[in-house]
Amino acid sequence: MSLKGRLHRHRKDYPLMVGVLVVLLLLFSGIFYLLLRRRGLPEALITNKVLLFVLFYVNIILILAILFVLLRNIFKLVLERRSGLLGAKLKTKLVFANIGLSLIPVLLLFITAFGILQDSIDRWFDTPQRQMLEYGRDLAQALRDQVDREVLAGAEIGLEALNGLNVSDPVESQSLRQQVNELLASLDLDLLGVYEGTEFVYEAVDPRAGVSESPRPDRRFLTEAVSEGEASGSLELERFGADGLLVLAARADASDPPVVVVAGSRLGPELLTPMTRLIRDYQTDRQLEVQKEEIKASHLLFFIMVTLLILLTSSWLGVVVARQVTVPIQALARGTRRISQGDLSHRVEMPADDELGVLVGSFNRMTEELAQNRRVIEESHLELMAANERLAEERALIAAVLENVAAGVISIDLDGRVLTCNGGALQMVQQGPEELEGRQIREAWSDPERAKLLPSLEAEREPVEGREVHLALGGEWKTLAVQVRDMSDAAGRRTGRVVLLEDLTELTKAQQLAAWTEAARRIAHEIKNPLTPIRLSAERLLRKHREGQELGPAIEDAAEIIGREVASMQSMVDEFSRYARMPSPRPETVDLSRLLDDTVRLYEEIKPGVDVEGEVDDGAREARLDPEQIKRVLINLLDNALEATEPPGRVTVDAHRRNGLLEIRVADTGRGIPPEAKEKLFRPYFSTKGRGTGLGLAIVYRIVSEHHGSIRVEDNRPTGTVFTLELPV
Amino acid sequence: MQMPRAVLSVPLWTPLLALLTAALRIASPLAAEPHISGLAVAFEGRQALLSFRLEEATGERFLQRVESGLPTGFELTFELVRQRRGWFDRTLDTNRLQVVAMYDALAREYLVNYKLGGKLIRSRMVRDLEALEEAMTHFEREPIFHLDPMPPDLRLRIRLRAELGSKTIFSLIPARVTTEWVESERFRPPT
Repeated sequence: MSLKGRLHRHRKDYPLMVGVLVVLLLLFSGIFYLLLRRRGLPEALITNKVLLFVLFYVNIILILAILFVLLRNIFKLVLERRSGLLGAKLKTKLVFANIGLSLIPVLLLFITAFGILQDSIDRWFDTPQRQMLEYGRDLAQALRDQVDREVLAGAEIGLEALNGLNVSDPVESQSLRQQVNELLASLDLDLLGVYEGTEFVYEAVDPRAGVSESPRPDRRFLTEAVSEGEASGSLELERFGADGLLVLAARADASDPPVVVVAGSRLGPELLTPMTRLIRDYQTDRQLEVQKEEIKASHLLFFIMVTLLILLTSSWLGVVVARQVTVPIQALARGTRRISQGDLSHRVEMPADDELGVLVGSFNRMTEELAQNRRVIEESHLELMAANERLAEERALIAAVLENVAAGVISIDLDGRVLTCNGGALQMVQQGPEELEGRQIREAWSDPERAKLLPSLEAEREPVEGREVHLALGGEWKTLAVQVRDMSDAAGRRTGRVVLLEDLTELTKAQQLAAWTEAARRIAHEIKNPLTPIRLSAERLLRKHREGQELGPAIEDAAEIIGREVASMQSMVDEFSRYARMPSPRPETVDLSRLLDDTVRLYEEIKPGVDVEGEVDDGAREARLDPEQIKRVLINLLDNALEATEPPGRVTVDAHRRNGLLEIRVADTGRGIPPEAKEKLFRPYFSTKGRGTGLGLAIVYRIVSEHHGSIRVEDNRPTGTVFTLELPV
Repeated sequence: MQMPRAVLSVPLWTPLLALLTAALRIASPLAAEPHISGLAVAFEGRQALLSFRLEEATGERFLQRVESGLPTGFELTFELVRQRRGWFDRTLDTNRLQVVAMYDALAREYLVNYKLGGKLIRSRMVRDLEALEEAMTHFEREPIFHLDPMPPDLRLRIRLRAELGSKTIFSLIPARVTTEWVESERFRPPT
């Protein structure tokens, strides 16, 4: 059964139980009342006894009820505390606090009030009024005694007056009547009767008595008079048509049968009523005293009843209040336990409109929200799992792609720690995954060769579009193209960098082979060009000599041609020799500003209409490099720029620092370089000019590479070309 | 020193119950002085006539009650029983005699009514306390039971107890004041 149902059932049971108890009490009280009535007790006394009875058993019932409530709840509290039920301790405290708080003042009040009451009851019977009641009683009794004596004296006088008279003789009947009437008048009696034994003879009644018929004493009265010689008694005159009481006295003589004279004197209401009231008030007072113990008991029981009622109410209230507090707490605890076990469908059913009701409502709402959240989380979890699966598939796909691509891909975080690297990268840098993954890239590439890659990876640097790096790894030269890109999360925050490596070794070799082929072709061509005039000159000399012509002028011409062509070939050989014998750079700290000024000054006003300018940032004034080789680089680039720039034009050289590198830019406003030529521009013996050896930019590329730098060519805007050198500082 | 376990395990309410029992015993009617004496059974035909006296039944409280005008009296319960102690249905007949005195304080007369089985059997007027006490405590040949024919070998007794009124114990608990049961000599039913 639900908690609500149990509460409802208890609410229905309590009035039923109370009703049964009240009915039983009334029933027993009625039976007790009837029993007392059978004993002929007065109404007031019966009421008092019934009250005592009722109070006593009400108290018994209350004591039993309190004991029941207390013992039942103590038993339940003990059980609840032993079972560790939440709220049991609080309930115990509340119950005993309520009982204790009410018990002490109630008991004090009970003791005080009962003492005062006892004292008051005792004082009831020790008052001047009681003395007055006793005087009243004595007065009434004295008056009655006096009347009794007067009546008895009248009877005795009458008996003496009738002495010697045969009362039963009809002859003396007249005389008897006359004497009785005279005696009635003379003795101031209201009744005077004559009996022989118990047999009526004659009776005279004073008409002032107002009786409608002659009152006569009963046989018992007469029998007593006959047997005892005298008798006293009284008759209620109401049944004889008058008010008051007729006081009777009888005297009998010793004759056989005895003559009995009955005298009567009327006590009218004017006297009888106050006398009776005096007696009744006195007796009422005495009755109270007689019932003093019972009255005390009644009051004591009443006080006990009130005390017990208060105790019962307080203990009951304590239990109810404790239950109202602890039952919701217990329900909440059960609910919490159920929810902790995962049953989010559980709801606490607690009909309460107080703060605990609010708490229960909040708890249920919280549970509902938890259930909703769990549903959302489960749905999200399923979606997340699906997304994770998709991501895992994508990751596996990407990993497979990365593993299978020839390019090397390395991801590093902002601290420079390697996150991932694919097989291509490992193959290119000739390292195992354990040497790279999870390690600082600076530590992993601390050796001099791999360190050439580091300048491109500095976190603070701008992304690197492409840079060729030449490494000597494992006894062979490698040419790697390095691209660096920022890595960002979904919010656009930079999380690291991705390094793309492309192995250009084979490509470079192929390019070099093609270059050498081109070089051989060019050399052959260059050699063939002077050889032809030489051969022609030799053939002309031989023909003149066979023809016998004069050889002098011809020899001079031939010698001049041969000498000139040989000089040309010598020049070409010297050029090749210089390229081949280029020394390794000897770095030193250079005032780059001065170096640039000296170089730029050489080209000032060489070509009218073309301005040549140089500029060095403050941060780039000093650099460590080989000044002669860098100067040669600049001269080669400026030669090309001036040659490509038609007046009016402009050639600028500027140097500055960027991302830890020295950047030197040589820009012109010339005709620019076709895209297909850009790829071959730095190859030896490649020239777009159709003359020369084609070694100028090859020498530039070689010097820059040997400085661990890079060079790239881009279009200038709006026209022209920009050569950008990046050299490590 | 550790107390014996038996002493420790005595419940708190045991001595309290003993005290209460003792107090009730002292205050109970069992310890009251009133008693019945001289119970004798005589027969007139099949009529059992009982004579007995109530001793110490008219104390000061009794006299105060009579003087106050309250109906004051005793209720005597008679049981005709077989001479078989412990027998479950030894009671053959029961009867009740009520003796109630009413005081007329004006005339200073005491009217004593006798009711047997709820019926008034006689009234008596006395004028002093001595006569009143005599009338209410001395019973001579009261025709309490009329015996039907019974087996002659049956042994009978008459039991008698008087209820003298009520009182309160500790000014709190209402209790009846009764005498002990008194049994007559055993006798055979009249033939």
